[in-house]
Amino acid sequence: MRFERMKPFDIVIVGGGGAGLYAAMEAMKTNPSLNIAVLSKVYPNRSHTSAAQGGANAALGNKAKDDTVEMHIFDTIKGSDYLADQDAVDVLCSEAPKIIRELENMGTPWSRMDDNTIAQRPFGGAGRPRCCYCADKTGHTILQTLYEQCLKKGVIFFNEYFALNLSVKGSRSRGLVAINMKTGRLEAFPARTVIFATGGYAKMYWNRSSNAAGNTGDGQAIAYRAGIPMKDMEFVQFHPTGLRKSGLLVTEGARGEGGYLINKNGERFMARYAKEKMELGPRDLVSRSLETEILEGRGFDSPAGKYLHLDLTHLGADLIKSRLPQIREMCMQFEGVDPIEEPIPVRPTAHYSMGGIDTDNFTRTVMSGVYAAGECACVSVHGANRLGGNSLLDILVFGRIAGHTAAEEAGRFEPGNISEAELQLNSDEIRGSMHSSGHYERYGELREELGQTLALNVGIFREASLLKKGMQDIAELRERFKRVRVFDTSDVFNTNLLQVLELRNMLDLAETVAAGAFAREESRGSHTRVDFPVRDDAKWHKHTMATMVKGNVSLGEKPVTMGRYELQERTY
Amino acid sequence: MTVPIDQHIEQKQDVTFRIFRFNPQVDSKPYFDDYTIPVERGITVLRSLNYIKEHIDASISFRAFCQAGICGSCGMRINGLSQLACTTQVWEVLAKSREPGLIRVEPLRNLPLIKDLIVDMDPLVDKMKHYSNWIDSTMPESSMGKKEFLISEEEFLRYDKATDCILCASCVSECSILRANKEYVSPAVLLKSYRMNVDTRDALHGQRLAELVKDHGVWDCTHCYRCQETCVKSIPIMDAIHGIREDAIELRGLKDTSGSKHAEAFMSDIEKKGKLVEATLPIRTNGVFWTIQNLLPMAVKMIMKHRTPPPPPLVKPAKGIKVFRELFREMTEHVKQDHKSHKK
Amino acid sequence: MKRYAYYLSCINESMTKEVDRSIELWQKDLGIEFVKLHEGTCCGGSNLDYVSPKHFALVNARNIALAEKQGLDLIVSCNTCLMTIRSAKKKLDETPALKKEVNDLLKKEGLEYRGTSEVRHLLWVLIDDIGLDAIRQKVKVPLKNYRIAPFYGCHILRPSTVLGHDNPVDPSSLDLLIDALGGQTIPYTHKNRCCGFHTLLVAEQESLNVAAEALEEAIQLKADFIVTPCPLCHTSLDGYQAKALKHAGVESSIPIFHISEMVGLALGYSAKELGIKRHIVS
Repeated sequence: MRFERMKPFDIVIVGGGGAGLYAAMEAMKTNPSLNIAVLSKVYPNRSHTSAAQGGANAALGNKAKDDTVEMHIFDTIKGSDYLADQDAVDVLCSEAPKIIRELENMGTPWSRMDDNTIAQRPFGGAGRPRCCYCADKTGHTILQTLYEQCLKKGVIFFNEYFALNLSVKGSRSRGLVAINMKTGRLEAFPARTVIFATGGYAKMYWNRSSNAAGNTGDGQAIAYRAGIPMKDMEFVQFHPTGLRKSGLLVTEGARGEGGYLINKNGERFMARYAKEKMELGPRDLVSRSLETEILEGRGFDSPAGKYLHLDLTHLGADLIKSRLPQIREMCMQFEGVDPIEEPIPVRPTAHYSMGGIDTDNFTRTVMSGVYAAGECACVSVHGANRLGGNSLLDILVFGRIAGHTAAEEAGRFEPGNISEAELQLNSDEIRGSMHSSGHYERYGELREELGQTLALNVGIFREASLLKKGMQDIAELRERFKRVRVFDTSDVFNTNLLQVLELRNMLDLAETVAAGAFAREESRGSHTRVDFPVRDDAKWHKHTMATMVKGNVSLGEKPVTMGRYELQERTY
Repeated sequence: MTVPIDQHIEQKQDVTFRIFRFNPQVDSKPYFDDYTIPVERGITVLRSLNYIKEHIDASISFRAFCQAGICGSCGMRINGLSQLACTTQVWEVLAKSREPGLIRVEPLRNLPLIKDLIVDMDPLVDKMKHYSNWIDSTMPESSMGKKEFLISEEEFLRYDKATDCILCASCVSECSILRANKEYVSPAVLLKSYRMNVDTRDALHGQRLAELVKDHGVWDCTHCYRCQETCVKSIPIMDAIHGIREDAIELRGLKDTSGSKHAEAFMSDIEKKGKLVEATLPIRTNGVFWTIQNLLPMAVKMIMKHRTPPPPPLVKPAKGIKVFRELFREMTEHVKQDHKSHKK
Repeated sequence: MKRYAYYLSCINESMTKEVDRSIELWQKDLGIEFVKLHEGTCCGGSNLDYVSPKHFALVNARNIALAEKQGLDLIVSCNTCLMTIRSAKKKLDETPALKKEVNDLLKKEGLEYRGTSEVRHLLWVLIDDIGLDAIRQKVKVPLKNYRIAPFYGCHILRPSTVLGHDNPVDPSSLDLLIDALGGQTIPYTHKNRCCGFHTLLVAEQESLNVAAEALEEAIQLKADFIVTPCPLCHTSLDGYQAKALKHAGVESSIPIFHISEMVGLALGYSAKELGIKRHIVS
């Protein structure tokens, strides 16, 4: 393997989604003389930010004149089940109106109100309609705008580069080693500062996840291996109705229009769990109800796993065509099912990861010169449960702060420097997996098993014995991974190698998710322990911190920063 | 209410995927590999490719990221048609396949091949840069974030569809003119240029337009509609291309380029005769010199075959041209009025 | 006798006169009467629509209204005229305000666009109204010795939201007609591709490349001729053929037929009667 050495950068941003692009833009704005690079394993416009449909919250007061930043803050803290750090939430919500306007000012095509201001709509858990949107493609249009603006500013992109490891000396980073997919060459990116903006890790649930195949927690895993702690990893949000085969979301709209959830006995089972609201109960309750039906044997069977029916057939062709055209198209494209003709096979699906790289409100990690923002970071603004419309906001606000902070602080750090020996080490690690002989493992099987054990044992319902089983499984999978084989030995665009490297990242992080879930003996937000069904503020009103010690997870804790709001019971 | 207890019985059939292969490090030229796998109803082409990669041949290379039709990574030609593998159902392709049980999978056209089903997207990004496919805001950076531009829903609707583009490059792959000349601007870049040009927040309009009317720009589109037909997001791309032309004519006049002169001929001939005067079309589009240099040999052949279009005086006007002309001119007045009220 | 209003395309009035001449020869044989619309005007040739969308609507509302006045469908034998007039019709039918504005003007000529007449291609009339079996029965000289490459052209297929008769990815109507006339269609991948006509005067090199590709494949497949339902495709593939092939470095040639000529041949008319001798490539 040949090596390529880059000239030293002031800032290297890993990830080209909303957070990474905002960081790049803001860093250039803060100090135009800096040498900045964005590394992305896909073309930036492909990033998973584009999948966010709903919108971004900001108390603009365009729709509800009496909306305030303060109300947004309270909704977010309450939604987080009081696990969010209140000073961080302050930052998130107070910066929101400014950042939405800034995006508007540079060309994001927001939908509009009658008075030509940015349109806002109601969203779950929010006291006022404050979710700013562009039809059902908000994330997509924001990502496009940011990518366009970065092209305009002349941001230097290294597209289709896969980051491998941080180069660490003592307590600080000297840069990053990455693989150039087009050539297969390892390249060193010496850098004064590194910003991780690589998105979430919910894809470790594999086909029980609505995430892009690439949401494999690369940035978190790199940081974790470099000794940076992960925070609140056990908190993973589930959506009740994912398609059985792909995990893709069938949005709440389908139930809003009158769809029924049916089990194999033909029952509208929600009557058991939410007699009045039926299918329209809160998201986590509906998720838990579906899961209970499946666990108690009332699901349908299929090679792709057990599932339930979301039945729209009684709504009739006209209503489905006029009100739910996208949902119908999606079911036909991805599942081959026309909801006019037959029920949609669904089951709960993992779709957002609240945990991530521990940072302060300026996106700094414990390692000097390393920052993180967006879904890969945990500031924490979402605590135990994220509100709809706050994820896009998070990546924008903290992406910008990351760019600004790194640009301001880059000068404090020495220029990065990565030795030949270190590149060789990275190279050997990769080459090793290509030439393993004798008994070997297939990455596809390991990944499948990882998704399965996570869904079964570290899923919606958690319990000590299940979690133990999950942790055992993950440990075994990590062991088996050592014998994984990369069958494609070519250099150019070796996607087989990429998948194996992604699997390594998921396996490393899975251990932190399971360990955190096992340790946290309470139920809070998205984390439901059957054996500890209530929130236990006395023991568990704190963050879990997962650090890699000698290759394995070691748990610690960190207090939650409180502020104006006292702990309360979370009821809606 | 009763629902039958149906324990979903999966129908399966064997499908052969004939996949385009090329690894620049070892292959001197591309070839095809066949893989036959059982595929049940509801499975997409991408899932089939994933299956083949995981179970049969790990070296097959293709891009896929979101696997949900929004990131645009997995554009490829499936039985000849450029589309997203992740939104294409295998059984549906089979139903239309000329060769029973066979699906051909090839890389997109008109972009440099990297390996197997992977093409280089950089030329497209370079064109986006060349044609300034971004909003250059009329608001100075230092004032941003303080207040909103007020934009009407009507303006939003003008570029709403255009912002659906996910840059999957299916249109690029299908474009007739790109196939003939790789320098051509590309449908996707025209679409994005249009989207920027109709946005009132943008300050680059005139400059971008000036670039678009140059060689390899908007006038080179040959109206084949392949881009629009293949668009995975059903965006009316030709409307955008025509929108740029309409704009170019309005802002830069009808005598601006050979393209606009060509277009202008239709307008003036219809008004005068109700018919196109084809004989002088080349001269009016490109001038006398070009016409003699380029078309003389052909003209000789045409004269010999009595195929030359009649000279202008001999073009018989449509019957009832006088009344028609009145209507036509009255419509010209309407258009003037429209422009006035539009500018207000 | 089935009666239709027949739209006079500019190009068939000037350069490709053989199209209308050949139709005149055989229309009665197939039980069709085409009533020529001498008052009709140029459709705008897929250019007027962006130069001035309103004039475009007016001109084509009028063209259709002329047919509606006689209670007849409007038949077109040029792809671009077909697409252009049909897209104007779609716009008029979807935009009541535009329809009214246009009709207020048309009133002065005693015309009204109502949207009652269909706008159809000659090829569609042959297949859907006359019927392949009926045509088969009328064939006097089956084209059985000919290997024929069907070149559909763009504007009879795309945009399918406006055309909608054939599958634009894999069209079949022209293949079926060739079959009914006893000819042998060849699997021709360029069948639904572009001829380059519309940019011949603006981007000549590109257009010639486009035309050359279509010609080359037919030559390679040893087709006896290419047949097309569009006089513009014909002009590009026939008129510009020598230039296109020279440009591509191909030393060969291939005749291009209009569908009206192909039908005429099968019904027993001579190449001379049909005007085939007028082609540049013989």
